[in-house]
Amino acid sequence: MKDYAGPIELSLRINGETRRVQARPGDSLLRLLRERLGLTGTKCGCENGDCGACTVLVDGAPIKSCMALAVECEGSDILTIEGLRGHPVQKAFAVENGFQCGFCTPGMILNAVALLSAHPEEDEEADREWMQSNICRCTGYEGIRLALASARRSLKD
Amino acid sequence: MKRNPDSIVNVLGKTLYVDDLPENAGMLHGAVVLSPSAHGRYSGLDESKALALDPSVRVLVAKDVPGQNQLGSAVLDEALLAEGDWHYHGQVLALVLASSRVLARRAAARVQILGREDLPAVTDPREAFKRGDIILSPRTQRMGDPEAAYKDCALVLEGRVESGGQEHVYLETQGAIAWPEDSGGARVISGTQSPAATQKIVARVLGVPMNRVEIETRRLGGAFGGKEDQANGWAALAALGAVKSGKPVKVYLNRRDDMLATGKRHPYSSDFKIGLSADGMILAFEADYYQNAGAACDLSPAILPRTLFHAAGAYRVPNVRVTGTMCRTNLVPFTAFRGFGGPQGLFVMESAIEQAAAVLGMDPVEIQRKNLLKTGDSFHYGQDVEDARAEATVTRCLQKARYETLRAEITAFNAAHKDLKRGAAAFPLCFGISFTKIMMNQGGSLVHVYNDGSVSVATGAIEMGQGVGRKIAIVSASTLGAPLASIRIDSTRTSTVANTMPTAASTGADINVMAAKVACDEIRKRLIGVAAARLGVEPSAVALEAGRVYLNAGAAATGSEARRDAGLSFADLVNLAYEQRVDLSAHGFYATPGLHFDMKSEKGHPFLYHVYGCAVISATVDTLRGSYQFDDAFIVHDIANSIDPIVDMGQIEGGFAQGLGWAALEELKFDDKGLLVSNTLSTYKLPDAHFMPRMDVEFYDKPNPTVVANSKAVGEPPLMYGIAGYFAVLDALKAAKPGKKGFYDLPMTPEKALRFLADDEPKEQGS
Ligand code: FES
Ligand code: FES
Repeated sequence: MKDYAGPIELSLRINGETRRVQARPGDSLLRLLRERLGLTGTKCGCENGDCGACTVLVDGAPIKSCMALAVECEGSDILTIEGLRGHPVQKAFAVENGFQCGFCTPGMILNAVALLSAHPEEDEEADREWMQSNICRCTGYEGIRLALASARRSLKD
Repeated sequence: MKRNPDSIVNVLGKTLYVDDLPENAGMLHGAVVLSPSAHGRYSGLDESKALALDPSVRVLVAKDVPGQNQLGSAVLDEALLAEGDWHYHGQVLALVLASSRVLARRAAARVQILGREDLPAVTDPREAFKRGDIILSPRTQRMGDPEAAYKDCALVLEGRVESGGQEHVYLETQGAIAWPEDSGGARVISGTQSPAATQKIVARVLGVPMNRVEIETRRLGGAFGGKEDQANGWAALAALGAVKSGKPVKVYLNRRDDMLATGKRHPYSSDFKIGLSADGMILAFEADYYQNAGAACDLSPAILPRTLFHAAGAYRVPNVRVTGTMCRTNLVPFTAFRGFGGPQGLFVMESAIEQAAAVLGMDPVEIQRKNLLKTGDSFHYGQDVEDARAEATVTRCLQKARYETLRAEITAFNAAHKDLKRGAAAFPLCFGISFTKIMMNQGGSLVHVYNDGSVSVATGAIEMGQGVGRKIAIVSASTLGAPLASIRIDSTRTSTVANTMPTAASTGADINVMAAKVACDEIRKRLIGVAAARLGVEPSAVALEAGRVYLNAGAAATGSEARRDAGLSFADLVNLAYEQRVDLSAHGFYATPGLHFDMKSEKGHPFLYHVYGCAVISATVDTLRGSYQFDDAFIVHDIANSIDPIVDMGQIEGGFAQGLGWAALEELKFDDKGLLVSNTLSTYKLPDAHFMPRMDVEFYDKPNPTVVANSKAVGEPPLMYGIAGYFAVLDALKAAKPGKKGFYDLPMTPEKALRFLADDEPKEQGS
């Protein structure tokens, strides 16, 4: 068992790169990304697991990074918005007006990437259930729905 | 559809919001100590445990304020930092600075309140009213004589209506970063909708003139009115911290503090009296609105008249008397929220119609249709109804929703199902556009064309996702004749454009687009002069369009020699002008014309124009659980000539979602002692992807000649379509309980729905 008294060094793969970082035992993955690694694309909306703005992919699964301890992610493969670099889902959100203020967008896009790999076929009910974990206060979700449909089409081509 | 470069930056996660900006070395973080109850006194604070935590910790209280410890604008009744007492749960008692965010929060939690004594708290506006605890004076608007008109009415009804508050839930919480300046002032990056107002408050708190404070605002992660007045305090605290410590200070609220300490939409409690003829014509309407203003004045005096202006909704009512009173309670000071008092007034009128329809045995839609405003009618505040679009939009929306068929389907469904019931309702919208405070209808701009042909446009508009920047860019590009891609919308800074108004009241685009256009027109004139001299023609023969210079500008009209490219690009022309020492910058100013209002008679012409529209919503209720879902929403919205259809569509959909949330789902809950119970996003439910119905939105696109782009403002009006959601559910509930009188207590939570079904209504409070 690790000694969690002081800062410890972790090794993680972040956006395809292996990084060694210091973390305190109480640090969330969100704080590690934003404050230690400067990856501010991941947003903080509540730090309570309620809004989804902080969603990143950990080993391919969408995780609310405010609810994960950094130390739990030792050895994991983490994908943030900075690592997507022009993914079809990003393009679809830009083209279909999948956002307004844009604050929910990085988390929304990562959750959508996970959704589309789990449900490559059209499935409106699955989309609604899946995307329920991310709050958008601006769009009324209609632009997001259109973005999902368009991304699904382009991923198939 | 091509999107602007901003959207690419954003989906890449590169947009920098307040908390994303790189932090300066030595920056301190601020955390706030909040009052623990709704009303209390204290003798002081014990800071020792906080200070013992780390040498970087510092605690600032009221006596540390070098200027005035005052946030109020209309009334000076709101301390930045409490001075011996507090008046709501979540009032700021102290600012704690430390070298990291975590440390600041831990230190804040260790500050002890000494000699705490809780005092009785008033949460009900009617109780405050009875005690005479009101802000300023009540306001009354009237037309005709309702008392006399009741005599001719076949039906006169009275009722009581409640509407709850609403949390903004901008996803980016409130925050600011301040740098101390050697002038004694500060430079602040603030998440504000109103940099000039923030500048004024920061200067007042620091005790310096406004010219020593600069506020800059970048893109906001949502605002919805919640960062109009309510952003000022956080900027002032950051500036105070910076000036006191000599270091940059960031104050960025966590969600819980934001929910506790910042204002929300006003709850209202209202009484109405309505008189109708036997065939459903509304002959008279009276209402008394008790606005729960919270513990301080804030923007309440601006919000209240909008309730009064919208009291009669989209209807022609010949006899009106409506009175609004701001009641001071021990809740957080309530503030601007999309709709700004309008929705609360409209809900009362729709409640009166629903109740009347039930008694008359009519479909509420019938009463709504019969009474719609027509061109030539007058509003009760003295303005004539011009270019009414109520009938056109309502007729089209009912047609789109196949209303007759929908009704028949619902009746058949309800006959066939015992535990599931369906319902539907319509809501006709008429919403006035302009700040109701006339002096606020002004705006400025500063446009620079750089010598490489790129353009920077600064205005007072704040981009918070509503696409105002893009509208300004589109109109600036077409006015200048520059390529759209060459326009950059600058961040909003008080040193660039001074004395700006908040981006609010849906006027952000109307006013700032015009201000930018005025400046662009000026520069265009100069550029055309340069081109004409160079080409040896009259200025009228030169056209500038999409980055190219053309000759024979009027060719199409006169049939003379064909128009042709002059071989000059916009950038070439700009460089030519630069070499000839022509000024490539201009300031623009715009004040909305024709507005006036007399506060004494409560009559005038407060609005430049009105936005119309209609929504039809259907819902299905599970009568065993009280839960429900919205099935379909049809909307026909008076957008006139849309400058940017994608952006406008997004505003309609998003506004409607917020309105449906307010009407149905979002329950701002305080306990009887005035403590906020719904203080996280797990206890405050708002629309998610699952909640929203299928939406079918259509633009009603008849141009609006009162503004230059022939467009109409779009920010606030669609929110009110949510009101149809309340009545759709009520309609379904009444199908389960035929003959039972409706209830008007928004939001329509499943809990209230179930109570209605179980005949277990809570006793009316306060009476
Ligand atoms: S910040 Fe993680 S869910 Fe809201
Ligand atoms: S775009 Fe603003 S919260 Fe989603």
